[in-house]
Parts: sequence; structure tokens; C-alpha cells
Amino acid sequence: MSADLITQQKRRQRTNFVIFLGPACLLLLMFFVLPVVVDIAVAFTDMGRTLKAGEFTFENFERMFTRDRRLLKTLTLTFIYVLGTLAFFNVTFGLILALVTTALPSRAGGFFRAVWLLPRMSPSVVYALLWAWAIDPTERGLINQIFLALGIPILDLQNDFPMVLIIVANGFIGASMGMIIFTSAIRSIPEHLFHAARTDGAGGLRVVWHITLPAIRWPISFITVYQTLSLLVSFEYIWLITDGGPFFDTTVYALYVYKRAFESGQYAYGATLALLLVVIGVAASMLMWRFLNMKALLQEPRIEVH
Amino acid sequence: MSMMKNLAVLGLAATILLPGQITPVTAAEIEIGLWTRADRSGPLRAGNIVAAADTVNKMLAAAGSPDTVTVSIHENNAKGFDADALDLMKAFAANKAPDIYVAAHEWIGAFAEAGYAMNLEDHIAANPEYYADVIPVLWNATLYLGKRHAIPQDSEIRMFFYNKDMLRQIGKSEDFIEGLPAMVESGEFTIWDLSSLAKEVVDGGAAEYGIVHRPNVGPDFLMTMASFGFDPMDEQTGKLQASRSALEGFLSWIKWNADNGVTPSNNTSFSWDTINHLLPEGKTFIKHHGLWDVPRQIRFGVSEDSEEAYTNTVGWVHSPAAEKGGSPANLSHPIVYAVNPGSEHADLAALLVAIASQPYFNTPHAVTTGHTAIMHAQSGMPAYQEAWALSRGAKLLPNASFMPNHTQIGPFNQAIYKGIQGVETGRISVEEGVDFILDELESELGDDVVILD
Repeated sequence: MSADLITQQKRRQRTNFVIFLGPACLLLLMFFVLPVVVDIAVAFTDMGRTLKAGEFTFENFERMFTRDRRLLKTLTLTFIYVLGTLAFFNVTFGLILALVTTALPSRAGGFFRAVWLLPRMSPSVVYALLWAWAIDPTERGLINQIFLALGIPILDLQNDFPMVLIIVANGFIGASMGMIIFTSAIRSIPEHLFHAARTDGAGGLRVVWHITLPAIRWPISFITVYQTLSLLVSFEYIWLITDGGPFFDTTVYALYVYKRAFESGQYAYGATLALLLVVIGVAASMLMWRFLNMKALLQEPRIEVH
Repeated sequence: MSMMKNLAVLGLAATILLPGQITPVTAAEIEIGLWTRADRSGPLRAGNIVAAADTVNKMLAAAGSPDTVTVSIHENNAKGFDADALDLMKAFAANKAPDIYVAAHEWIGAFAEAGYAMNLEDHIAANPEYYADVIPVLWNATLYLGKRHAIPQDSEIRMFFYNKDMLRQIGKSEDFIEGLPAMVESGEFTIWDLSSLAKEVVDGGAAEYGIVHRPNVGPDFLMTMASFGFDPMDEQTGKLQASRSALEGFLSWIKWNADNGVTPSNNTSFSWDTINHLLPEGKTFIKHHGLWDVPRQIRFGVSEDSEEAYTNTVGWVHSPAAEKGGSPANLSHPIVYAVNPGSEHADLAALLVAIASQPYFNTPHAVTTGHTAIMHAQSGMPAYQEAWALSRGAKLLPNASFMPNHTQIGPFNQAIYKGIQGVETGRISVEEGVDFILDELESELGDDVVILD
């Protein structure tokens, strides 16, 4: 009887596993594992525009490591882009927005947060078209119309400061994610800590430095890791606003992969380049996991509240 | 359409639709899939195939057949013809191929090589009543391994549009202004002279820019490069080729223009909308574009809508020769219809293409979109004669060449465009630009390209 019960329990456990974890596992397999497997398989073929894979070959890897003169420059550019967007917008500006809007009266804070959420809520094509209009290098562009009215010479952001342009255009969207997470984290800090600090004579900056920032350390680490990976693989705004140009000045690695694969029809070579992106993504995650001590974030709480 | 043609259509349609059927039991509705790029510059490319199906249906009805032909159109929202062709390749690979498709002619080689474009030699030979009047030079744009794999749907002519008023403003005589096309034609006036003239116009305060060109990849650059002796294909071997010296000459010209304020160094950052307004708004002396731009120029206010007013303001020249005594260059870029050889209804599809290519159908496309005719007979039609720009443009055709129908022409043009952008924006020198283009071509195309000089 007891043996039956154990068997039944085990069966129940297996059923539960399938019911509760099955869908998630299936999704993981379909959208995360399978694409990587397909990518690896395609990378070892000569698949071109007709999508027909002919022979097994190492040609793509040989080309990537020995003949692709753009590879190193593109990787350097990507590093600058990711670092710049994170440093100026996705983390720093997101944090500033969160600090400022939580310090404001609740309605005003909500209003400004809503304003900063607008770029994220706009369809990407509309957002990019607005940018394209704003930065038009002639007097037809919005920025130049303002500059002309102020007597400032016409500016060509796309040609003269392409990296600044893509960092700002992406940063305006990226900052809102940090803003939301940080706002929520700041709101969860027990209010008495702020009152105590104020009673002890701490000014605004000291409160931020000694109370707020230590309390939201983990959200900051999380946003840094998450946004780094997100920026590494995102390119749609760059593609729509500058198309990777002028020349190759804004061709970040993910866009480079896309262009090789889908604009030149070299799918196998694109898959090989994408494989390197997967490796870089995994390496970056592991490094940040280690240096930001993310393990501590995920450990079980030491105090259990009943 | 003549009685003979009607009978031929009926006979062919009956053969295709009713094989072995004496008394059809049920009516068949045959659906023909058509792939076309969503392109405001040529809605009748698809519309004419639908109209051709209507013609076939009328004949079937007249013959008492209950069968009908319908056309289902897939309008692909691609950025350009290159992107569209790549999408179509994917559709073929995924067994979603259409029966008929509209493509830029230079892609026919790639489609034919993959087995996606039907060899139409037999179809053309069997239907001379449809094809005997096609302007012969246009067939060159449809060849793959010497065989016709497509039917030209339109033709065009590209040119440098120049503003005559600006020349008057800087004191040029009417003789000079009106004689410019002849001087270019004879090779007396070179592309360097044109740049110097453009600089004179800019320095004289008559225009903000001297010469502007398209802001993206496209055939125009191959036309200007031809002035420098750049021939992208070796007809003997069928391989693409790139001449270092011709590239050096061409990129030196690009750099000179950018350095001397003739072409804005950020020309490639301009939007199409901006580029298209520059000539009508009197901001540029020269715009390099094509005949189909004339209606838009008039719409944007370059002149009154009459031949006299327009030609009094705007003149057209080929891309002048790079050296005195050389030949000027022009380039036509026909869009073509091709038939999927794997289609269940390939013969019917070819028949629809044949009907859609007749003057009655093709002329409205030509006159409404600024494209030149594909048949001699069209030049006699009243609607075509009223479209003065087309008959004027046709005079530039004898100097026209075509882009090679090579499978790798897409990446070839991409590499050239990037090189131009790099040099024009001052990011790389002329020498670096040449090296960049040749490196890209070698790395991207491998054995498909031969580097000359």
C-alpha cells in the first residue's frame, strides 16, 4: 500500500512538473535553445540568398577571423555604444529621473515619469521617423529650425556626431526602464530611514548617498546587466535612424550581423557572426554576474517573516 | 488589339484552361499569384496584370467558358528593389512563390540561376504578335546566359537635371545654356567641367549646392562611374569586374565635389524628401536622377506644367565623359515581369504578362510614372505623344547601358556606395576608398569578381 502511495506521489510529482514547468521549458527550448542550435548548424553551411544549404564548411569562420576587416572596428564601436548608453542614460539618467521624480510631489512626479515613458510607448518606426525629421541636416529639420530661429548655425548630427545621436536616441527610451525600476525600489525603502537621516542633519545629497543608493544597489546591478545584454543585441532604432552610417560609424555589431545576413543575403555568414554575438553575450553576463556579485541578489533571504 | 491577337489569346487561353475538356462540368477559378513591391511609382505594374486577366476572362465568357482567371496580388513592403528581391527569394525557398513577379532587371540573373525565372525564349518565339515590336535594346536587360528570362515592363533614362535660370544668373549666354547638352554629347564638355560650372554657380550665390545625388544605394552611381570608364561586367567571362584606375578617377571626382562645396559632404544624410525638394526650390544647380522625377519636379513647383516652361528652366545632360573627346554615359534600369517556372499555371502566367505588356496597357503606366515605352508602337499613341518628357527623354536612350544581370550585383553596388559615402563625408581618402571597395568586393564576392589594373 505504502509502495503504491510512493509511486502515486512520484507520478503526481512528474505530472506537476509537466503541468507547471512544461510550458516554460517548451518556450525556453523553442525561443532560446533551438535558435542557437539552428544558428550553429547554419554557420557551418554555405547558405545564401536562396536559403539552400549546400555543403558543410568552415569557410565562414575562416572569413570571420581572417578576412573580415570590419569585425574589430564594429566590436569597438559596439563597446563604445553600449558603455555610453548605459553610463549616460540607461543607468545614470534613469537613476536621476527616479531620484528627482520621487522627490517631487506625487502628481508632478507621476507626470514627469509619464512624459519619459512616451518614447518607450511610441511604435519604434514612429519614434525613428520623428528623429529622422528632427535631425534632417537642412533647415527642414526640427532641431535646425530651432537653431536658425536662435541664430545658431545649422547642425548635422548624423554626419558630425553619429555616435552621440544613436546613444541619445536609444538612451531616451532606455532611461525609462531604469526610472521605473529605481522608482519602485526607492519607494520600498522604509521612510523612517529618511526621517532619521534628516533628523541627524543630513542634506539631500547625503541622504541619497548614504540611504538611497545602498538600498537600491541590487536594482542598479540588475539594470546594468539587463540593459547591457539588451543593448548588445538591439539595433532597430540605429537601423531606422542612421542605417549604420555614415560609412560604418554607427554599424554596431548586431546591425552588422543583420546587414550581412538579411541585406546581403549571406545567411550562413550572418549566422556565424551571430554566433560570436551569443558568445560575447554569455561572456559579458558571466563577467558581470561575477563582478556585480549577482549571486548574492538571488540567494534565499536570511530572515523569514511569518 | 487586332482580331488576330484576340483569336490567338482565345486559342491559347482555351488550350491552357481546358485541356481535353469538351464540356466543362464545373467552372474553374484559376488564381494567379503576383508579387510586386509596394511602390507608388508604379501601381500599374500590378494593375496591368489584373487588367490582362480581365481581358482573358472576357474572351473566355465570349467563348462560353465558365472558367475565370483571378489575380491575387502580394504587395511587398520593401525599402527598395534589392530588399524586395531578397524577400522574394525567401518566399521561393518557403514554397510561397508567386506565379508572376515584378523585379528590377539586374536580379534576373540571380533568379534564373536559382531556377526561379522561366526561360521565356520559347514563349516569345511562339507569340511574335505580342513581342515583335519590343524595342530591341531592352531585351539586353532580360538576358541570363544569353537567354531571355523576363519581359521588360518599362524603361527609363537617367540624367543630370540642371537649372538654366542659375546659369543666366551668373551671366552665361543662352547659346552656352542651350548648347550644353550638345557639348556633353560630343565629349567636348567633361564631367570635371560640369563640376567647375557647378562651383561657379555656388560661388556666384545662385545656388546653395552644386550637384546632389541620391542618398542611398542605386544605379545612378554606375552611370557616373561609366564616364570614368568603369565597366562592371566582363561580357566574355560573365564575371563582375572593378577597375582600380576607374575607381580612383571616380572617387577623386566625388572628393573634389565635396571639398569644393559642389556636393554637400553629408549628401548621404539627406532624406529623399529633402533631396527631391532641392531642385524645385532652387537650392541646387544639378540633381542626378531619372526621367520619372520630372512630374514630381513640376508638382513641387520647378516650373509651370508645360513643355515650354519646363525646358526654359531645366535642362538635361548625360553624365559627361571624364576626358575631352570621350563618350558620355547614361543608364536605363528597366523593371521586368518574370514567370515562376515551377508554377502550375506558368503558361497562363506568361500569357497574362504578354497581354499586360501591350501598348494599350503599358502606355498608361509609362505616361503616369514618367517611364519610357517598351514598344515602338507606343510612341504613336496620343497619350504618349502628349507626355512630352518621355519623347524628349527617349532621345538620350542611345547612350544607355544597363546594370549587369549578375547574381552578385546587390553586394557589388553596396560596396561601391559605402566607398562613396566614406570619401564624400571625409572619413577616408580616395586611396583608402579604392582599397575599401576592392577589399569589400574581394571579401564579399570572392571568385565572382575580377580586379583590374
